Amino acid sequence: MSGRRGRISDDEINELISKLQALLPESSRRRNASRSSASKLLKETCSYIKSLHREVDDLSDRLSGLMSTMDSDSPQAEIIRSLLR
Amino acid sequence: MAAKRTAPPPPPPTPNPIPNRRALASGAGSASPSKRMLAFHFLRALSRISSATPVACRTRTIRRAAYFSMARAASPRRSWSRALLRQVRVRRAVRSRRAVLMRRRVVSAAPAPPLGVRSISAGQITSAPLAGAPPPRQAGEPARADALRRLVPGGGEMEYCSLLEETADYVRCLRAQVQLMQGLVDLFSGQ
Repeated sequence: MSGRRGRISDDEINELISKLQALLPESSRRRNASRSSASKLLKETCSYIKSLHREVDDLSDRLSGLMSTMDSDSPQAEIIRSLLR
Repeated sequence: MAAKRTAPPPPPPTPNPIPNRRALASGAGSASPSKRMLAFHFLRALSRISSATPVACRTRTIRRAAYFSMARAASPRRSWSRALLRQVRVRRAVRSRRAVLMRRRVVSAAPAPPLGVRSISAGQITSAPLAGAPPPRQAGEPARADALRRLVPGGGEMEYCSLLEETADYVRCLRAQVQLMQGLVDLFSGQ
């Protein structure tokens, strides 16, 4: 595992990190300086991913509730079918 | 407003969902062409669900379908999508094995050996590293990277550089998936 650091330069790592930073939501970006430490950025990324997971769970919950009220003749099913065609 | 002429207009007086539908189907506003693939896979999985599943585990099934279709829509070059698909396959194999063992246990009344299951905790697809192998740690890699490795599927065995790349791609796809599901929820509840 040693010697890897030499092949992958610091610049590349910094570039990747700044790309990650660009992905994070706007609010956290404003709070950080443009050269925030890598570990802080990773922490932001972790919490962002966790919040996205929570949103997926919440949305699938709502979707399942909505779908249970749907039958195959309703316009929503028709929309789904038309989108899949 | 130009309507998408793919289906005959429904007779009951429902409000016109056309703008949402076009936003969903065309993936407007984003550079990635995979939004259409995402929508396609997810909607196909959804339509398969509504005919088959009991209501109780529908949420779980939808969540699994979301991650699964996300992995399918992403390029297979990405480790995280491969890791997600592998997890699905492992889970299916485990479930069928467990079903077989349960049946055998009922028949023979002997305790079944514990399965080394990668349990998917509610709300998270975790990536457990290989048993006994510590995650490879590069010099200069901050300690936070371990938490990130746990969050991104397949992250336990990656190098630091690839981890950053995969994370970026994973975040992008996750966001697209959330937007898609949000659009669907709005579409259905806006009736």
